[in-house]
Amino acid sequence: MDSNIIIDLKNVNFYYGQTRALSNISMTFRKNKVTALIGPSGCGKSTLLRLLNRMNDLIDGTRVEGEILYEDQNIYAPDVDPVEIRRKIGMVFQKPNPFPKTIYNNISYGPKLTGVPVDDMNALVEQSLKQAVLWDEVKDILNQSAMNLSGGQQQRLCIARALAMKPDILLMDEPTSALDPISTAKIEELIEELKKDYTIIIVTHNMQQAARISDETAFFYLGNLVEYNKTEKIFTKPDVKQTEDYITGRFG
Amino acid sequence: MMNRRIKETLIKYLFFLFALVSVIVLGLIVFSLFREGLPIFQHTPVWDFLFGMEWYPTYDPPSFGIFPLIVGSVIVTLLAAVIAVPLGLLAAIYISEIAPKAVKEILKSVIELLAGLPSVVLGFFGMVVVAPWLQDTFDLPTGLNIVNASAILAIMAIPTISSISEDALYSVPREFKEASYALGATKFETIAKVIVPAALSGISTAIMLGMARAIGETMVVLMVAGGAAAIPESLFDSVRPMPASIAAEMGETPYRSPHYHALFATGMVLFFMTLAFNLIADYVSHKFKQTGSATL
Repeated sequence: MDSNIIIDLKNVNFYYGQTRALSNISMTFRKNKVTALIGPSGCGKSTLLRLLNRMNDLIDGTRVEGEILYEDQNIYAPDVDPVEIRRKIGMVFQKPNPFPKTIYNNISYGPKLTGVPVDDMNALVEQSLKQAVLWDEVKDILNQSAMNLSGGQQQRLCIARALAMKPDILLMDEPTSALDPISTAKIEELIEELKKDYTIIIVTHNMQQAARISDETAFFYLGNLVEYNKTEKIFTKPDVKQTEDYITGRFG
Repeated sequence: MMNRRIKETLIKYLFFLFALVSVIVLGLIVFSLFREGLPIFQHTPVWDFLFGMEWYPTYDPPSFGIFPLIVGSVIVTLLAAVIAVPLGLLAAIYISEIAPKAVKEILKSVIELLAGLPSVVLGFFGMVVVAPWLQDTFDLPTGLNIVNASAILAIMAIPTISSISEDALYSVPREFKEASYALGATKFETIAKVIVPAALSGISTAIMLGMARAIGETMVVLMVAGGAAAIPESLFDSVRPMPASIAAEMGETPYRSPHYHALFATGMVLFFMTLAFNLIADYVSHKFKQTGSATL
């Protein structure tokens, strides 16, 4: 069991200026599982997600207490380079955000930055796009601007772009909330597929989505971790009444 | 009900009228520029006017070749661009992406202040401070030369380039930056590979407008370019850019003499050059817009 833990949070507090956004969070994420973070807006689930690859560093006046261990190393230790962390822990955002570059260059952007020469960039691009089930749709237009793709295609491109870095973990911040149902279904299938090779942590507002795709679900409310358990358990007989109220739509 | 509709229509036409006024005024100015400028071509053929090497408007017979003037304008503007573009752009990047909030506010207002300096004050500065220094340091016959004029023009163009570029950089969506950081890019890599390329259309507009400002600027070149209507052989030679020539000579020339027409025709050339800068700026900004990058 323990060897399966990839991220371990110990008493994590997080502040935006004076405001405490996360209180005393302790939880673990398991390898090759899909973990869903749910809860009403402003409950801190996105904040938590962005803590895991140090994206919150980019916001002025934020402060972290406690430890976040990734493979037994505290990623907030002073000697840790956030750039290294972000190469290992990829992220997909709520709004598809491809660069205004060609499809090919969107994928090759990250690998080129690492300074490690890639023997065969074409193969890496192809492999990443295939993993994101986008290859067949774009293989003839790799040199066109990524901005011409549809929203769903753009989001899969963003996933492919993250995969090209060969990360261990993929963080997804409401990846389907800006997409239509068909694109959403495609992304969900994709997540199912990616689970074999990656650890996925996904924030979602969509209860059915959490129930469909995740192995474990954590429910947050007002910066607290209310309940964290197997998805099946959370959605059938949760231990806390608040959780039940939320997933049955009585509040939130 | 009817009353309201009449009011709407009235307001619509009122605004149309206001819009029309500026167009008509501009049209009339261009018309008179051409009316006063074109007659010179009965005296001197277009080719000889544009590419003539000799500008001796008061000789007998006079010769109206404005090529040295054009060269003067172009070289002063280009050198000003070489100085102003890196400075303006780097300042914009620093202000928009790197500077802490307090520094940012101070820098922005200082640069805006720089834009508010009257050109005659800058020209004065070039004459009494820069020129003697150049003359002594490089042992030149005069400090009123290309380098001096370009430096002062660059100071004038920097606020334009910097503030428009900064707007363009600032309007690059945060999502692009986050995507870049999330892929393990450093701040510098994000600026160089994502933010600046995405803002390129705005930046090119900024550069073109800055240059349009420099090429049309009169007072500075009149005061510090030296006024020699000859093709320069070094950057420390004096030149006589077109606006300087027009400003200096217009007061002395008889109404509707060939010299008078020649000066108006010089104004036409200047008008076309500024127009070209603006059209290029417009084209470039549209071209980049199509690929979906952030623009102004």
